Amino acid sequence: MKMQELILIIEDDQAISRMVSLTLHQHDYKTLIASDIKSALRLLNQNSPDAIILDLGLPDGDGKGLIKTIRTEITIPIIIVSARHEEKEVIASLDAGADDYLIKPFSIDELLARVRSAQRRFLGLQPNVNVILCHELTLDIEHHLAFKKEEPLKLTPTEFNLLKYFILHRNQVLPYARILKEIWGVGYQSEMQYLRTYINTLRKKIETDTARPAYIHTEMGIGYRFTCDSVNIN
Amino acid sequence: MYLSTIYPYRHYMVSILLIALITIVSQTFLTKLGLINIALIHLIPVLVIALQGNMGSTMIVSAGSVVMFDLLYVPPKYSFDVHDFTYIWSFIIFFAVGYTISSQAKRIQTNAIKEIFLNALSHDLKTPLSSILGNASLLLKEQMDDATTRREILIQINDSGQRMNRLVANLLESARLQNTQSALRQEWCDFEDIVGVALQEFRYHPKQPQIEISIDPQLSLFWGDCALLVRLIVNLFDNALKYTEEGKAIRLTITEMEKKIKILCFNESQPIKKADLKNMFDRFYRLEHTADVIGSGIGLSICRDIASAHGGEIEAYNVQNGVCFEIIFPVAKSPSNGLKELL
Repeated sequence: MKMQELILIIEDDQAISRMVSLTLHQHDYKTLIASDIKSALRLLNQNSPDAIILDLGLPDGDGKGLIKTIRTEITIPIIIVSARHEEKEVIASLDAGADDYLIKPFSIDELLARVRSAQRRFLGLQPNVNVILCHELTLDIEHHLAFKKEEPLKLTPTEFNLLKYFILHRNQVLPYARILKEIWGVGYQSEMQYLRTYINTLRKKIETDTARPAYIHTEMGIGYRFTCDSVNIN
Repeated sequence: MYLSTIYPYRHYMVSILLIALITIVSQTFLTKLGLINIALIHLIPVLVIALQGNMGSTMIVSAGSVVMFDLLYVPPKYSFDVHDFTYIWSFIIFFAVGYTISSQAKRIQTNAIKEIFLNALSHDLKTPLSSILGNASLLLKEQMDDATTRREILIQINDSGQRMNRLVANLLESARLQNTQSALRQEWCDFEDIVGVALQEFRYHPKQPQIEISIDPQLSLFWGDCALLVRLIVNLFDNALKYTEEGKAIRLTITEMEKKIKILCFNESQPIKKADLKNMFDRFYRLEHTADVIGSGIGLSICRDIASAHGGEIEAYNVQNGVCFEIIFPVAKSPSNGLKELL
């Protein structure tokens, strides 16, 4: 039998923590609930959860501090939950070491998808890959080629690097500054104009309907997420 | 286009105009009026500007009025004199009057905003809330064996929840818009991105696939508040989806013209009355015959606020087979062209 995984929910609103806990139970997870940072730290000392869901608005302190504390001791996925207007906090938390985020109100599907993809990332670190298939897209890293339905895509070097970065970090939120730093280098973190322009041209090349993108999703005020549900690695 | 740059200083413009006007009047009727009446006339611009509730411009106009009065009417004319320092008192009195009126005007303005919010909460939150509570209690009480009915009820709860969520987002953005200039979080926005995010909000809406999008492939980036622009498009879609029957067309077109970006949202429907075309951007204005459509009167007014915060304009007009909403944004800042890359 499969081991039931344990998830720690740190949330001060009982209605929400109970709902999240119930949902996770239905999907074969075990849960622990902490309503503040103090009890969260106590529970972390006594148990070893497989993932953490953390609400940023806790009564007894800053969630970012907690993320940093957790990160120095254990490596498990941390998913933060925040209110709609806290983009800066979300970005700061992602920088502090959180893996993903959810905006209230969120759907259960989203929550489960985030937990699963964060765990997948933590289980298998990227092996040495040469070719990655993602829906209709094929990325051949070794030969610097990309295809859509076997048709070769004409990509500029920057577009290729961007697509490669996206596919290697698929299904996770990538803050604007991080993408800019990775693709354009240190010192370009605030050149949003570059990123917007390149996302636009890359979408035109890989998406079928650019207004209803299947791959590059915009997370307004935070970053982009490259969606890739069925992935095939060779 | 220049209007948008002048707009924040409009109070100062009006004060200069007023001072000029009363100077003409006072100079013409100088002998008939006498010094005291002329002094009182110089209080008029202070009153007018103070009613706008802006302290800075009130102070400037008080000083301007006193200086003009002192310079033109108090002997020796056309010069400042030593005992002109007594007119420091005039300035203090002028400003005291202005200050009192200004702060009162501000209080009234905030009260008006509060009232709008209370109205929004009571009127527009109650509808979806009662649907959620009613449907939930139905599920709690009844033994619901029929899976399809149960699903229908759940879909309604979900819809109402989404509607409340949109309304709350609108209220938050509207609160942010009350101090426009300072609160705009401007950055480079791609309209394709923005439309994509807006469509995402309706991904479970049955009529969502009816929305047809056409964006000029050469459209440049726009310097604006992306989150607000998303709200604008969401509200346009929300409105179009509400008033368009199943199977009828909804079309969003974005084009770039000389120094302007034009957003056109068309939906197939009955024509709208002329008076309604103008008034529907007012807060809580609802078309008479649409009482059966659940919704808020706040959406279109926020569209107008968002458009004008970007120096743009919104209007609605009837066309053949339907209604058009047109928004024109002036392009204040163009992206630099230094990042073209060759294949």
